[in-house]
Amino acid sequence: MNTQLNLKRGIRTTLFTLMVILFMIVILLPIYYIFLTAFAPSGKLFTVPLTYVPRSLAIARFQDIFGALPIARYMLNSTLLATFSTILALTVSLLAAYAIARLNFPGANLVMVGLLASSMLPGTATVIPLFQMYQTLNLMDTLHGLLILYGSALLPITTWVLVSFLRQVPVEIEDAAKVDGASFFPLLWRIVLPVIRPGIATMFLINFIIGWNEFFTPLIFARGAGVKVITMALSEAQVIGARSEFDVSWGNMSAVAILTTIPVFIITLIFQRQIVEGITSGVFK
Amino acid sequence: MRQSPPLWTRSTLSSNAIWADTHNELPVASSDAGHRQLTTGVLPLFSRQNLSTRRILLAWLLVTPVVLWRLLTSVYPFLRTFYISFFDNSPVRRTFDFVGLDNYMALTRDANVDATLTFTLFFTVTSVALQVVLGLAIAELLNQRFKMRNFTRAVNLLPWAMAPIVIATAARWIFHQDYGLINDIIWRLSGERPLWLVNFTTARFAVTITDVWKNTAFLSVIFLSGLQGIPLELYEAAKIDGADGVRSYWYVTLPLLMPLIISMMIFTAIFRVLTFEIVYALTNGGPGTATSLLSYLVYLEGFRVLNFGYASAIAMLLFFIVLVVGVVGYGFLRRAWERL
Repeated sequence: MNTQLNLKRGIRTTLFTLMVILFMIVILLPIYYIFLTAFAPSGKLFTVPLTYVPRSLAIARFQDIFGALPIARYMLNSTLLATFSTILALTVSLLAAYAIARLNFPGANLVMVGLLASSMLPGTATVIPLFQMYQTLNLMDTLHGLLILYGSALLPITTWVLVSFLRQVPVEIEDAAKVDGASFFPLLWRIVLPVIRPGIATMFLINFIIGWNEFFTPLIFARGAGVKVITMALSEAQVIGARSEFDVSWGNMSAVAILTTIPVFIITLIFQRQIVEGITSGVFK
Repeated sequence: MRQSPPLWTRSTLSSNAIWADTHNELPVASSDAGHRQLTTGVLPLFSRQNLSTRRILLAWLLVTPVVLWRLLTSVYPFLRTFYISFFDNSPVRRTFDFVGLDNYMALTRDANVDATLTFTLFFTVTSVALQVVLGLAIAELLNQRFKMRNFTRAVNLLPWAMAPIVIATAARWIFHQDYGLINDIIWRLSGERPLWLVNFTTARFAVTITDVWKNTAFLSVIFLSGLQGIPLELYEAAKIDGADGVRSYWYVTLPLLMPLIISMMIFTAIFRVLTFEIVYALTNGGPGTATSLLSYLVYLEGFRVLNFGYASAIAMLLFFIVLVVGVVGYGFLRRAWERL
């Protein structure tokens, strides 16, 4: 009887472990394959069947792409755009979220619903007039022009999440500060900000990742090399030294993919909990 | 819903600080009772209306940047798209002529639009179904206790964190006929090497699989959070009633998660309709127009053909579909709430 139970439990544990392993393989193997491609010595790329354990690695592709494309400039632009759009969006969203969560004003719900609805407006349904506006206003191919659009995309969800974080924080501390005569900005800075710092940090991480990964906006609005971003280097790297339309350099593409992915992986692996909290608080509260 | 801070209305109009309280007031505990007392009797000097006007003014001042930013970069361009859709507008031919419903009539005759709608339907239904089922399964998996659970949860998030364009571009290599990862595995198992991106059906599945790989993590994280919100007592009660394992999942977990599942289905479906990068980089909408999606069509028509008027009409069709998905989904959601 007892051994039978143990056997049953043993089978169950084994099955479960197998499922976890299968899950890990499905996620990690494609990523590992891109890693292999990026570091494969030239000539070792096209082998049938594939070799999953390489005998040697090469960094030649990275030297190639840095030599042929302004990769450093692209990465700098991505960093600048992701960072500053995040800071700007957080600042104005915090002001709005404070008003919505604390000031109980007529129209607060309208603002919330309006933001949500506007985030459902497809980017492709706004891009043509924006393109025309940007040409008239000379905002094409400028970092500040891109910043406006990057930031705009972050506002609805950031405001929503900050409202939900604010609503979880008791108001008593703020009330006490108000009794002490604190005026608005000191109150926000010294009292409100410290209590919702986790929310701010979470949204900073998520927004940075979203900004870093942006592709459609720069595809349309950033055409000069000075303002291009790293996600645009994927297709450019594929055709370095290409002899024909069908001569695609998968190795170079993979090298750019690795460069684009490393920063977001580091953030995700370190701050997994915070990111999950950010994702879920946008949905639940 | 939280009420606004009750002490708010206690603010006086003194100095430049809107809520700088005068210190000679009665110290009142922050409670609703105090609030009522104060606003009705203790501060007759200041009309309540006047005070709340200042509060409302401040509130609107605070939301203005966000509202204005969104109005200028989202709402106005959207309305403008609607307007342009009634014009023949091309920067190449330098035209801006009113053509009434011509662009919309052209939509109904466009074979590309037909093909695109067919694939949109296939892609949305297949991808949402797979994501919901797999998302629930992964959530269940990550909810168990095991060694390296935190690491597994972090790994689960990796596809979510990667740029869609990176995944789409890399997928083209992974689905490569001779040297791709997927065909290597299939070849080892069966000796076949399917032409993923050449055949209609397989190309459609390639797009769908790539999308599912990238986006299931998001759903699983939300479902996991939903699972953690179900009180354990319910499972114990179900156990007493003889429901265990699969049956308790069917009778306890699923009904409780249903509103969440439905709302996430709406959300996921809308974003499937809006998908751009995967089609742009993995298949270019091909073979032919087998994997074309509306966002991609807007991009082609607007920024390759440079036919802004017609592209705007396609964009309005896209918006209309999103609206329908949202409204129909909301109806289902309300029914699910009522049943709970």
